Amino acid sequence: MPVCVAVGCRTPANDETGISIVESIAPQPVRAQTETVSFRLTNEAHQPVASARVQVEADMNHPGMAPVFAQAIETAPGDYRAPLNFTMGGDWVVLFHITLSDGRKVERQMDVKGVESN
Amino acid sequence: MTKPAPAHSPAAEQEQLAEEQEFLEAQPFDLLTVPVIGPLLRWRHSRTFLQIPLLAVSIVMIVEGLFGPTLSPKNLATVLTWVHFRGALVVAILCAGNLFCLSCPFMLARNFMRRFVHPRLTWPRLLRNKWIPILLFVALLFSYELFGLWASPWLTAWVILGYFAAILIVDGLFTHATFCKYVCPIGQFNFIASTASPLEVAVRDHEVCDGCQTRDCIRGSRKPSAPLVVMQRGCELALFQPAKVGNMDCTFCLDCVHACPHDNVGILSRLPGVELMSDPQRSGIGRFSRRNDIAALAVVFCFGALMNAFGMVSPVYTVESWLKRTLHFQNQAAVLGILFTAVIVVEPALLLGLAAWITRAWAGVKSSWLAIAVRYSYALSPLGFGMWLAHYGYHFFTGLYTIVPVTQNAFAEIGWPILGDPQWTWVGLPKTVVEPLEFGFLLLGLAGSLLVAWRLAQDDSQKHPVRAFVPWGVLCVILFLCCVWLMTQPMDMRATMLAG
Repeated sequence: MPVCVAVGCRTPANDETGISIVESIAPQPVRAQTETVSFRLTNEAHQPVASARVQVEADMNHPGMAPVFAQAIETAPGDYRAPLNFTMGGDWVVLFHITLSDGRKVERQMDVKGVESN
Repeated sequence: MTKPAPAHSPAAEQEQLAEEQEFLEAQPFDLLTVPVIGPLLRWRHSRTFLQIPLLAVSIVMIVEGLFGPTLSPKNLATVLTWVHFRGALVVAILCAGNLFCLSCPFMLARNFMRRFVHPRLTWPRLLRNKWIPILLFVALLFSYELFGLWASPWLTAWVILGYFAAILIVDGLFTHATFCKYVCPIGQFNFIASTASPLEVAVRDHEVCDGCQTRDCIRGSRKPSAPLVVMQRGCELALFQPAKVGNMDCTFCLDCVHACPHDNVGILSRLPGVELMSDPQRSGIGRFSRRNDIAALAVVFCFGALMNAFGMVSPVYTVESWLKRTLHFQNQAAVLGILFTAVIVVEPALLLGLAAWITRAWAGVKSSWLAIAVRYSYALSPLGFGMWLAHYGYHFFTGLYTIVPVTQNAFAEIGWPILGDPQWTWVGLPKTVVEPLEFGFLLLGLAGSLLVAWRLAQDDSQKHPVRAFVPWGVLCVILFLCCVWLMTQPMDMRATMLAG
């Protein structure tokens, strides 16, 4: 099956915060069930960004579908993890709504293509 | 011998009352007599009044699609087009009639253009049929799958812009409603779907038409002092009211309602699908049995519904993988083209051909197999409509409230968050409510198709109506089971069919 899944994708900073994110999803292939999204936040100096509050949102690429939300937990300084329940197969877009410890807000995005139906 | 009752005796009054009651009961419901709605629709500028909000929404969708959020579920262009517009359109056709064409925003732009541009060309006779819009309809379905239009606000905006451009070019060059009748794929979808609608624009009393000399319903009316000045348009789609049958080619523009000097045109109730059950000479159309192009439209309408839903469920990827392996194809468009050809051309040709052959051989119907296939292909349109309803209705009802957060977000994006923070958890009706509706739509479609096929079979073979009916009844049941199977598959929506 043609599956393209974001594994270890690195989304570079595209705003003044200089925050970069490296994301991965396990297990592979991603299926329509609860999967774990792991990601690491780093600053311009490539140092981990700790104590951020991150809400993870997953949307189908088709409009009109229910989005999925999860609150990420920090497992180590700069390392975060969130369970995401992919409710159906298809292409998903995962949004990371990040609030840094100093209150600044950052948005990052990851494509998860070809989630397989059960 | 009974003595006749005196003119004003209680018995005569009672008799007269009974006659009036019988007359009233025989009269169909007329939407134009309903308070508020009736006067609004009879108002000369009612169509413009309905078109203006849709034009405004279209402009917002274009701007939002080109410049708004790139994520489809958060953009008004994609949410309104692929969730609300499609769903509302089919639900309106089911509950009333072709209300989208009535309030078509493209026509408002076209009417404005025609204040300055007066076309002189007539549409070539060779193209006065449905073949071009059928191809465009298939092309739209094909592009939808190939380019994942639902996932791209930008492409969706360009589809809307393309529509405006197309109607301005075609109706800027050619007279009458050429675009609506001979080009518009959405219009053809609405026409064939609305054969199953409960309302139609029709003459109230044919005796009044018999005495009419002016025929304003089709000719329109012109200023007596300046014959070139049109006071009121007649039907631009060449539907002469007294000979008009059903909803085919009717845009519900209500020009005939406004033009009739005798106030003899209404929006009347009828049995949904009744126009498919007989084959009279129809104004502006001819006989259905002699219109291979409209029959092809009905077939594409039905099998296109299957293909459109098939592109949204998991098994399609198994099929395309198999095609790729077997044919050593990697080209996305080619594999998709094969699938479309198989579902929209080969499959109906085989199934309808076989059913027609059995009807001819078993029921002794004298016509050629092609003529039989053409005649019965119209019976498939209620089932096709049921499938479109189930599919589009699913997205519409399960995503009904998504318009709220997306609109909130649109205001927030332009720095004017007057509607508050987007409530992204607002989605729509639960699946437990929507799924029974889906199967209800499919059952309605099946019932309609079986009824139409049965009535046609009764007309075709008075000796063996059951034999004439069975092949088509079986075909309808097979297609219904395909629809049910499709609707029970897990949804799997990918931006391109061969992604990855």
